[in-house]
Amino acid sequence: MFNFRSLSCVALVLSSVCYLTAPQAGTVEAATEQVKARLVASVDAVHAGDEILVGVNQRIIPHWHTYWINSGDSGLPTTINYKLPTGATAGEIQWPTPERITLGSVTNYGYANEVTLLSSIKIPSDSVVGSTFSINAAVKWLVCEEICIPQKVDLALDLPVVPPSVNTGQGSPLIEAARVSLPVASPWPISLEHGENTLSLRITDKKFNFKAIQTIAFYPSEWGKVVHNAEQPWQVSSEGIELTLKSGEAPLSVGQNLSGVLAITENSSGGSITRGYVVNVTGQAAVVSNASSGESEVVLTTALLLALLGGVILNLMPCVFPVLSIKALSLIKHAQQHPKETRLHGLAYTLGILFSFALLGGVLIALKAGGAQIGWGFQFQSPLFVLAVAYLMFAVGLSLSGVFSIGGSITGIGSSLAGRSGYSGSFFTGVLATVVATPCTAPFMGAAIGFALTQPAVSLLSVFFSLGLGLALPFLLLSHYPALQRKLPKAGIWMDRLKQGLAFPMYGAAVWLVWVLAQQAGVNSVAIALGGMVIIAFAAWLYEFSKYSGKIAQRSGLGIASLSLAFALLGGYFGIETAPAAPTLAAKSSKNFEAYTPERLSALRHQGKPVFVNLTAAWCISCLVNEKVALSQNSVIDAFKQSGITYLKGDWTNRDAEITKLLAEFGRSGVPLYVFYPAGNASQPIVLPQILTPEIVTKAVGASLVNAAL
Amino acid sequence: MFLHQFYKMAVISFAFAVGSTAVYAEPVIDKPAPLFSGAAADGSTIKLDDLKGKTVVLEWTNHECPFVVKHYESGNIPKLQKEAVAKGIVWLQVITSAAGKQGSVSGETAQKLNAHRGATPTNTVLDSDGTIGKLYGATNTPQFFIIDPQGVLVYKGGIDSIPSADQADIPKAENYVSAALADLATGRKVAKSSTKPYGCSVKYAS
Repeated sequence: MFNFRSLSCVALVLSSVCYLTAPQAGTVEAATEQVKARLVASVDAVHAGDEILVGVNQRIIPHWHTYWINSGDSGLPTTINYKLPTGATAGEIQWPTPERITLGSVTNYGYANEVTLLSSIKIPSDSVVGSTFSINAAVKWLVCEEICIPQKVDLALDLPVVPPSVNTGQGSPLIEAARVSLPVASPWPISLEHGENTLSLRITDKKFNFKAIQTIAFYPSEWGKVVHNAEQPWQVSSEGIELTLKSGEAPLSVGQNLSGVLAITENSSGGSITRGYVVNVTGQAAVVSNASSGESEVVLTTALLLALLGGVILNLMPCVFPVLSIKALSLIKHAQQHPKETRLHGLAYTLGILFSFALLGGVLIALKAGGAQIGWGFQFQSPLFVLAVAYLMFAVGLSLSGVFSIGGSITGIGSSLAGRSGYSGSFFTGVLATVVATPCTAPFMGAAIGFALTQPAVSLLSVFFSLGLGLALPFLLLSHYPALQRKLPKAGIWMDRLKQGLAFPMYGAAVWLVWVLAQQAGVNSVAIALGGMVIIAFAAWLYEFSKYSGKIAQRSGLGIASLSLAFALLGGYFGIETAPAAPTLAAKSSKNFEAYTPERLSALRHQGKPVFVNLTAAWCISCLVNEKVALSQNSVIDAFKQSGITYLKGDWTNRDAEITKLLAEFGRSGVPLYVFYPAGNASQPIVLPQILTPEIVTKAVGASLVNAAL
Repeated sequence: MFLHQFYKMAVISFAFAVGSTAVYAEPVIDKPAPLFSGAAADGSTIKLDDLKGKTVVLEWTNHECPFVVKHYESGNIPKLQKEAVAKGIVWLQVITSAAGKQGSVSGETAQKLNAHRGATPTNTVLDSDGTIGKLYGATNTPQFFIIDPQGVLVYKGGIDSIPSADQADIPKAENYVSAALADLATGRKVAKSSTKPYGCSVKYAS
């Protein structure tokens, strides 16, 4: 039987231990069962009139957490009440980037393991040298695992007031660690658009490649603007990134400010880096759609139209037309008696086609996704991609010209499936049509596919569906209006002529792509591409005639053909990879850095000069942010100048082999990497952390200078 | 040809539709409150539909949550309950703690707890499978929803304006629930109809 008295005792005990208070007199450190708190400062002593940083550090036991300024669906943010000597002031809490904590359908924002909440404190200018500056902090927080416990501690820190000539010391390293995790200003413009019940945050940068982003999350600093437990779907495009947020209980009105933190996690060598960016935007209503999205809309609709057209033209190809005409003939037979059945046949055929195209699209998307992991980019910025597409266009042209043909055996299997009567027969005829159409590509289709590969998955699939629809359209129309079959042209030599004629636009496309390649990778790449094409033509010719020879000749012919094809592809790959990169950093000698080369580094080291090496890449977000936040700051540039440090910058955008070697020396597989070689030709290099602040750089550079002087 | 827009909207709507099944229904102010039927602590069944013609207050609670304790020990919520019931308002406590989680109690224990705390709600609804909680999107204890005699939702949110676990803050805070009930009584539109709730998270089954 439930003992009510024991429950009331428990309740009493619970309520009395609700607040775990340390002794009134406040100490530097205080602990509760869940949290160890301490008060730390950026200095060991203070000067009158100084501004220092003070932090409340919380070390939380595993699985428990404390909260951010907006705690989310439930919870309570930590509050700090500073009691300072007269005349001193304390600023607001500076919150490090939080993380999402979900418990079922309830989402909160807060911190696990450890966090330091910073506040800046101004020392009064009339502080007396020799006195003590006493900081008292009454800290209240809510710490939760599944259940929540509000707790309170009193912390105190005494700092001596010293004369201006005396050094104030380094203070606690926890302060710098906290500063590194504070959100920084965003290096790209962020804009906001109001939708119906949604908000869209856009980061716009057409040059920057956002593909290395692992996740992105927005933390609103006020309750009610955004639904906390809703998914935030995001999309990367050539324009930048778009994040969609669901509006909350107190939705943002147009003209109101949305503030918060955007946390971006990026793949980097040795794990992932998360950095927060301050968001403070006012949005416009969605009616004003910006020009850039209109642009991409037009491009996509053009691609869809072209794909549709290409699909229709595919019907005229000699590989597709016979299939079509056989089916059309059988249609005619039934059309009079069963018009409804005929229409359904047409639909089954269309479904067969769309299904096969969806499969094709899916394979391409999977390849893209897999390729992205390996580091491919299906983009026209990559010279390798351009070369591959040029080869593809050329090979297709050859096929259309009749140099070779593929897909004979597949067609055989397909025919037996398609021969089945009934709706499944029509379905498989659709599949067959797709299969035979694929090698027999029409010029429009090639361009559409090339374009679709650079687009996100949705656009890619819609282009493919449009293509499939175009392919299915004539038959679909025939099944609805059997009278049209009278207008069907009779098969004849004109089909072959048309096919051969369509080879020339393909050759034209290949020429254009080689021109693009020349821009990207230099004159030598033209020789490589054209040489590769010659070899491909040779392989194609060999393949075709080996089909009609005896077994041995067939095998050897096939073997040589595949070898030469492999040679062409590999040769192209290596030829382009080692081509000198297009002028990226070359002409920037007026800046404060030099391009990195191993020769320059060893020369400088030999001379005993200090060197700072920054290995970066155009697609690395943390590199970009570190450069903006730390390395381009005047304090850092001055520090480099004063100490006579040479700044070497290595651009790894195209995966330079020498930079890869230097990275490997420090056990890294990717960027960013910051290394400082102090003065002296035998000095040990110092590796800096992957997230920089100006202080981290100047300290690393200055400290070793002091050591060198000693 | 806004195929691009269409596809974008289709994908986003789909994502939200899927996401919404996790978010559950969001009750909207000035729209009919979601109807439910639940088991009461005294063994009876309570249907929101049957309560038309009366003002209904739904109070999500968890007797072990420090924020609920703050408002019960100080007498704040028991006072509200007494005044409301005296005026003919139906005050329903809702306990949405899943079995085995903090605050989960049997009907008998729930009644005993109220007796001990001097709380006199009209009844207590036991919602351990979380259906009613998810229907209303309850995330905190304490959290309140007020439904007018016509069945329309007129208030949702917290109890007062100072989120804390300190009893000392109660007299300093603006009590949203009593303000909303006062507005209703005089026939005014509720001035602050959606406020930020604060408290412990509702312990749904994971």
